[in-house]
Amino acid sequence: MSEEELNALQRGYHKRDELEEFDALPPEEIVKEKRVALIECVEEIPCNPCAVVCRQDAIQKEGLCTPGKVDWNKCSGCTMCVAVCPGLSIFLQQIKDGKGYVTLPYELLPAPKVGMTVQLRDRSGKVVGEGKIVNPTYQARGDAYPRWVVTVEMDDPELSYEVRAIKIPEE
Amino acid sequence: MVDWRIYEHPILEFDRGKEVTIYLDGKPMKAFESETVAAALYANGLREFSKSIKYRRPRGFFCAIGRCSACMMEVDGVPNVRTCVTMCKEGMQIKRQKYPADYLNPVLNLMKLPPAVYMRLMTKPSFIYKPAMTVMRELTGLGAFKKELPGPAPATMGNEGTLETDFLVVGGGPAGMQASIEAGKRGADIIIIDDKDRLGGQLLKQTHTFFSDVKYAAGKRGFKLGEQMIAQLSELPNVKVLTETSAVGYYPKEDVMLMKRPGNATLKVRAKKYLVSTGAYEKTLVFENNDIPGVYGAGGVQTLLNVFGVKPGNRGILLGTGNVALMVAYHLIQAGIEVVGVYAPSFRRVRGYFVHAAKIQRHGVPIVTRHTIVKALGKNEVKGAVITRLNPDYSPAEGSQFTVDCDFICIGVGLNPAYDLVQLFNPKMVNNGTLGGMVPIRDKTFRFAPNAYIAGDCGSIEEATTAMLEGGLAGLYVTEALGRGDEGVTTKIEEYTHALEEDRGSPFSTRLKAAIEEITVENIEEVLS
Repeated sequence: MSEEELNALQRGYHKRDELEEFDALPPEEIVKEKRVALIECVEEIPCNPCAVVCRQDAIQKEGLCTPGKVDWNKCSGCTMCVAVCPGLSIFLQQIKDGKGYVTLPYELLPAPKVGMTVQLRDRSGKVVGEGKIVNPTYQARGDAYPRWVVTVEMDDPELSYEVRAIKIPEE
Repeated sequence: MVDWRIYEHPILEFDRGKEVTIYLDGKPMKAFESETVAAALYANGLREFSKSIKYRRPRGFFCAIGRCSACMMEVDGVPNVRTCVTMCKEGMQIKRQKYPADYLNPVLNLMKLPPAVYMRLMTKPSFIYKPAMTVMRELTGLGAFKKELPGPAPATMGNEGTLETDFLVVGGGPAGMQASIEAGKRGADIIIIDDKDRLGGQLLKQTHTFFSDVKYAAGKRGFKLGEQMIAQLSELPNVKVLTETSAVGYYPKEDVMLMKRPGNATLKVRAKKYLVSTGAYEKTLVFENNDIPGVYGAGGVQTLLNVFGVKPGNRGILLGTGNVALMVAYHLIQAGIEVVGVYAPSFRRVRGYFVHAAKIQRHGVPIVTRHTIVKALGKNEVKGAVITRLNPDYSPAEGSQFTVDCDFICIGVGLNPAYDLVQLFNPKMVNNGTLGGMVPIRDKTFRFAPNAYIAGDCGSIEEATTAMLEGGLAGLYVTEALGRGDEGVTTKIEEYTHALEEDRGSPFSTRLKAAIEEITVENIEEVLS
């Protein structure tokens, strides 16, 4: 059976068009205007830290088990939800001056530093290019610490729709 | 020198305590006081701990939590010690149990009888029983007590008497701890026991952040939650914590539970109410060579990695796509260990939460569904695995076999409730596949016998948050049954019940909820009589 025939639940990761169908990805005009959160969590699981932590009230969750939806008009791109999401499934995306920016949670070694060149991986783990770390913040407080919230810059803005992980090369 | 310990970890800091020297067959090895013997030996590169009794197959350890018996060795002259729950001490002498009659075994094997039968047949007539038994135990590799034990044996192998208490909690995982906290806050005298050197159960191995409601566990890392609960318990003077203590039997006539204390001493505890929260043990998979060292339960790998900071290997594969397997894959990535792939026969979907699957795949670990393992390669330790694709009827697809190069195989295919102790209360047991196996019929207050309650995975295989909530509820119901109930208790019960309901509100729990309803009755006395 080829991979094409599998759906997202059988593969264990989404493709971009599947997430678009689910309205999980922010529209282009929004990401060109500001940095916003996107939630790639489409399953009904009992969880609510993202909705509780959001100060802008931008994440709606009807019940404990309904997946969260972001109101992109309200979202200020503060990264709080990225820092708390237990499923590591919230990211921030922005396209600015022709470059793509993705903010993602990072819980591995080696520790990220500003200016590092890193490998960019898409949702399936495939290396799709190289990027530069622009803003690593260390979550030293809160329940989920230690966790890094890292923003990476990529030259191809289209990649910001795909990149969901980074690999920092060992020194 | 070989050292498999992890010194840098993104989440955990390993406080190993004082360095000590232990001896394996006379050879000195570096160990730490906070390590179990098995972890220390593993860190020093030992993979084969013992040999199987009948066919002399190599045995490493499998579960690392004192449930299987693959890691039994002779420690300070005492044979058959579970090294995975025995802590290292300075100068400890560890021996692989010797088989002076290894050459004889083909003869014994020809008889195709299990060792227990040799022991019955070959120790007769009765006047030769004692010497014959010693010889037979040595021959079959079961080990025999030496005449003189080193150290102050008579003092430690004593009897610690009988304790009386209101509430005895067996198992210090999330369920047991929460029950002790809730009942302890309301003044009951409590003893909580666990067979490890610390409370916390499987919570201490969870480096990832939990789901659920922020009011309870959500967003917190499991091991921190465990540490918080341990701290809460230590503030309650009426809660007595006994670690390295195993419950080995319950005697309904005498209404007393027998325990094994460190140093093989015995202790009896008589309680007004008992809570069994013994958790679960790992299921295994049937495939060729599934018994060689290097094939582990997911819990075993978690213990090595996250409790003792010891690498299980350099390159591994995982079997199963449930939450446990997916989480262990993530823990391995965090520890910098290469995971070649996660293989499972799942056809309909990845069995665990989608977000768990997504977070390991984006780090380059493929989840290969519709595949399963055929055999493990290697003689004395795992050298690789043969994987095959499956047809929709679960038969192996011809010509699709391939070999994966790896040095450990981690099985995460589910858990069985640890019901051994439950059965001693003479409950009504039923086999329920959705709940993981044999579970007792209980009433709405989690009571399954006149004086015994159940909570957590040993009653139904779920996850840590529900175990905590169940434990809390059981603790509150026990408080009521002890006559300490008040309005506060009733409100708290309502709150917990609501939370449990919400936690089980996802489509993942639909079948589970129905199964729990099936085994919950109004009046437990009617069922038992």
